[in-house]
Amino acid sequence: MRRLALRLVAGLFAVALALGACGGSSLDSLTGILRDPAPDVGGVALADASNADAPFTLKAAPDELLVVYFGYTACPDVCPTTLADLRSAVRRLEDDASRVDVAIITVDPDRDDGERLTSYIQSFFPGGHALRSDDADELQAAADAFGAAYEVVQTDEGVEVGHTAYLYGVDESGLIRVQWSFGVTPDDLEHDLAYLLREGI
Amino acid sequence: MRKLIGLLAVLTLLVGACGSSGDLVVEDAWARTSASMQEAGAVYMTINGGDEADRLIDVSVSSDVAMVAELHETAMAEGGDGMMSMQPVTAIDIPADGAAMLEPGGFHVMLMKLAEPLTSGSTVELTLTFENAGTVEVSAEVRED
Ligand SMILES: [Cu+2]
Repeated sequence: MRRLALRLVAGLFAVALALGACGGSSLDSLTGILRDPAPDVGGVALADASNADAPFTLKAAPDELLVVYFGYTACPDVCPTTLADLRSAVRRLEDDASRVDVAIITVDPDRDDGERLTSYIQSFFPGGHALRSDDADELQAAADAFGAAYEVVQTDEGVEVGHTAYLYGVDESGLIRVQWSFGVTPDDLEHDLAYLLREGI
Repeated sequence: MRKLIGLLAVLTLLVGACGSSGDLVVEDAWARTSASMQEAGAVYMTINGGDEADRLIDVSVSSDVAMVAELHETAMAEGGDGMMSMQPVTAIDIPADGAAMLEPGGFHVMLMKLAEPLTSGSTVELTLTFENAGTVEVSAEVRED
């Protein structure tokens, strides 16, 4: 009897370990960067030029994910690379593709008017949101909430723009659940998007 | 005598083969399709060095494609905040028997002020100028990714 009890305890212990490992590995299975604590950007709202400048709150619609990018349309290398890779990843989600919404926030609002920005993001994502602000403090506050940085410098040669090039995966409560560095592969993006859409947002 | 001629022919062939394998070769040149309103584009490629080190020092493009083409490098800014930006470079080193990669997030040929959008299936013709190898014509395929 006592032996049976021991075995039962051992069995339960094994099951508990397995469950624990399962929980642990599911957390580990996002390939992107997990920030702790997850920044809350749900309090940020910017004018959406793709929707007559109506305020757009930086959180996903229920049961969806919002992917946010800080960039600018005159960007020849980094921005088109990242947005094209995101497009590839979202396409591969097939039926779930419609559950991923994309918003670009321009760091160069002087040159990116609403029409230009809308046309640009919607050539990657037909329903993409074009967020901008002419108020430098408002834009800076939005970037600060994400931990994004940017710099627009007028030089003799023209305008020089520097910016952080992360993609941010925001859930319906406005938390950044994961962020991806420049150079993330479409495979890893697809994996993480599918994981978040499946495992709960 | 015949043997000598034969030997000469073989040697000539060998020398010829040696020469062609020692030249610089540009491969996989491509440009991404431009998004709507995107003013500038980038061309990427692999440049395989020849027997001697060389330097890519200039690039030009027809004004039908873009106002000007420049050699650029995208790099992470110093200071640790992760900002990326782009700078013109005077030259790109091509190592002997090695390769220089022009790829997203690194070196690229920047096409400033595109005359027309870069559309899938078209090509962009570039003239590269190397310090030693002289000019090399390159045809870059335009595609989505
Ligand atoms: Cu450039």
